[in-house]
Amino acid sequence: MTKTLQFARFRDLALLPAIVVLMIVGALVDPVFLSADNLTNVLQQRTELSLLVLGQALVLISGKIDLSLESTIGLAPALALGLIIPASAHGLGVELPEWTAIPLCLLIGVVIGAFNGFLILKLQLSAFIVTLGMLTVLRGLQIGFTEGQNLFEVPLSFTYLGSARWFGLPASVLICLVAFAIGIVALAYFRQGRSIYAIGGNAEAARAAGIRTERVLWTVLIIASLLAALAGLLMTGRLGSVGPAQGQGMIFTVFAAAVIGGVSLDHGKGTLFGALTGVLALGLIENILTLGGVSPHWIQAIYGAIILIALLLARFTSGKAQD
Amino acid sequence: MQRRRILSLISGIALLGTVAACGGGATGGAQIGVDYPRADSDFWNSYIKYTPQFAKELDVRLMSPTNSQNDVAKLVANVQAMTSQGAKAIVMAPQDTGAIATTLAQLEQKKVPVVTVDTRPDKGKAYMVVRADNKAYGEKACRYLGEKLGNKGKVVEFQGALSSINGRDRSEAFASCMKQNYPGITIFEEPTDWLDTKAAAALQTRLTQHPDINGIYMQAGGVYLAATLQVLRSAGKLFPAGDPRHITIVSNDGIPQEFESIRKGEIDATVSQPADAYAKWALYYAKAAIEGRTFKPGPTDHDSTIIEVGNGLLEDQLPAPLVTKDNVDDPKLWGNQIGK
Repeated sequence: MTKTLQFARFRDLALLPAIVVLMIVGALVDPVFLSADNLTNVLQQRTELSLLVLGQALVLISGKIDLSLESTIGLAPALALGLIIPASAHGLGVELPEWTAIPLCLLIGVVIGAFNGFLILKLQLSAFIVTLGMLTVLRGLQIGFTEGQNLFEVPLSFTYLGSARWFGLPASVLICLVAFAIGIVALAYFRQGRSIYAIGGNAEAARAAGIRTERVLWTVLIIASLLAALAGLLMTGRLGSVGPAQGQGMIFTVFAAAVIGGVSLDHGKGTLFGALTGVLALGLIENILTLGGVSPHWIQAIYGAIILIALLLARFTSGKAQD
Repeated sequence: MQRRRILSLISGIALLGTVAACGGGATGGAQIGVDYPRADSDFWNSYIKYTPQFAKELDVRLMSPTNSQNDVAKLVANVQAMTSQGAKAIVMAPQDTGAIATTLAQLEQKKVPVVTVDTRPDKGKAYMVVRADNKAYGEKACRYLGEKLGNKGKVVEFQGALSSINGRDRSEAFASCMKQNYPGITIFEEPTDWLDTKAAAALQTRLTQHPDINGIYMQAGGVYLAATLQVLRSAGKLFPAGDPRHITIVSNDGIPQEFESIRKGEIDATVSQPADAYAKWALYYAKAAIEGRTFKPGPTDHDSTIIEVGNGLLEDQLPAPLVTKDNVDDPKLWGNQIGK
């Protein structure tokens, strides 16, 4: 146990040298980079991604996979809004009171996670295929009932969390920090949290050791979907509307951030802190490219190349083979 | 020439068929297949709404339209299905203008004429391309911003995907017009792939780097409008037109929400992409193709010009009006007709 723990710690910090290098490069590109405003912006722009990565990291560590998160981030806020705005604004015509929107949004996340869990755990279907199917169904539902329209009429209470500032920082950043802190503590010190590693490492052994694997996995899937719904709420607040494509294609970035941060696709390995460094590294790279005014035609190639360099840096500073 | 004869022969036979079958109804019963490129943007949703409406008006028999969800592979499959169901002409809007070439060649072999809407195929034959002059979008935006800002200041430009012809055309026209006429303005080109999240992040970063930014050009209001306003609002930089701190914003698309923002003074102008005219003239040309009519380059009877864009390909370049506070209430704009 201690050995895995140490190994995990090591992977944790693997990306830090790369982040330090990025900070230096950023400062050289433009002095504005290191200003509090700019760094706050980077954090705020990454809040939704970081919540998805948090959810996905939990799911990956437990040995499953959830692709549907990128659709939940769009459907949960869209459906919640659909239930409260009038039909003339592309709502469903139910017109529930405004205060129900946020609880509904989170509840929709829980329901989606529970349904994923039902298909994967009770009906014993492959998590990859189930969530791939759900990814398509959920996106389709959103486009179906909104008729592909952007939902512009978002009540102020719904945009509050995504756009407010608490103690000088965007509220969404603080929410993410708290979420990660809870996750890190739970995974390091609590029995239920540790059991996620055990299940991911060897589900049979975990069951034999008395862990209620099914219940833990179900909870993990629900938490991941709930986090995606919360991310959808924050994104709606930051962007001021729910687009029909909200979150589309995001799952690739989620995996990129998680894997760069040392979460293994190979079950039971990785840490949430590592995943968080992955999110930060991607955010810093994009910010530096924008500040540097890189040619629009070359930005993708350079973005990809920098990710590879960051991985190389992590590989040689940690001295560990990656998988 | 031979193609034309065969076309009229086909439509003649089809006409006889309908007369025999149902006692003569719409246009000779020659069915027209329409593929919608996507159903997740306000602009294309309006196009989808207008299509059956104009089909009725033009007396065209429409097959049930398909939706290729922005995926060229789906478009190819849809087109094949429609031709085997007996489509005599196809209206499509290939968003990937390169990958459609083989399909166009196959359709040419089958003598099924194609009208492309919004985009022009890079290669292959089409009977007619119905498209707004996207270069004019970039140019109109440039002229408006250039004059408003008096040839000085800093402008952020949200570029659409550079892999699409419309994103390229708008970006190139905007860049060359600015360089030539308003060299005093600094342009920040932000690649956004038609994604609001990328635009919001870029704008936020750029405003921190250059707090004196005084102009924004967004290549698609349907995508970037809400996000831009939200970023400006939280940065405390959203002032109505007329205020000296106001950031001049020009958009492209012409959706109702943009008009609303123009009325409120949040943004200044947009170029109205003619969703209604797209639907109308696409069906018009599809019908004309079945009837075997031909067209020549030159001005048309509907305020547009047909130009030859090379390879014998004709393109009807529909006008796209600039909408400002002065004409935002014009009932002829499609953005004002929607939902009425």
